[in-house]
Amino acid sequence: MSWAGPEDIFLSTSLASYLDKKLLVLLRDGRKLLGILRSFDQFANAVLEGACERVIVGDLYCDIPLGLYVIRGENVVLIGELDLEREELPPHMIGVSASEIKRAQKAERDATDLKGSMRKRMEFLDLD
Amino acid sequence: MLFFSYFKELVGKEVTVELKNDIAIRGILHSVDQYLNIKLENSRVVDQDKYPHLLSVRNCFIRGSVVRYVQLPPDGVDIDILHDATRREARGG
Repeated sequence: MSWAGPEDIFLSTSLASYLDKKLLVLLRDGRKLLGILRSFDQFANAVLEGACERVIVGDLYCDIPLGLYVIRGENVVLIGELDLEREELPPHMIGVSASEIKRAQKAERDATDLKGSMRKRMEFLDLD
Repeated sequence: MLFFSYFKELVGKEVTVELKNDIAIRGILHSVDQYLNIKLENSRVVDQDKYPHLLSVRNCFIRGSVVRYVQLPPDGVDIDILHDATRREARGG
């Protein structure tokens, strides 16, 4: 992130225009954090106030409150400005409690593990 | 610096940025910096149904380190100018 020179005044890629806005931050591990940007630096390190993690499993979602977060820039994939006039999520999605989403996450993990182990058992067939 | 200057020329054009986590985002290039961080305006995810959380994101900042490809409009590139600039850079650098 460069400091804007005089010719860059309309061309800044700094996060300054996102300050005090509610943002969606995508992390490298796939997590989605929402919060208000309070601070940032040239490495895209960021401070989010009132942060929450939006966990999505299929059509279920849950916002888990986290509080004040400092995010190390190397983990940041994307920082998105949420358009307040649009729905944040498609209407068919259902909001559930934290315990329910954890159960759904576990079910999804078990299904992937099962798929993985079955595939491993079939590997000797050399089908693909 | 070559690609930084090159992307500066593309500001205002529509590009599709493909990230290392396979998400592809199409939008108007708003700005770029020395790290090739990209800011897109009017952005839309290519596969909207797969990424419901990005539904209402219209402007975004993409960290340069996570970009895999930047897909450009075919007429957005003057190949000859790019060739010359590259040769100059190769000679000087």
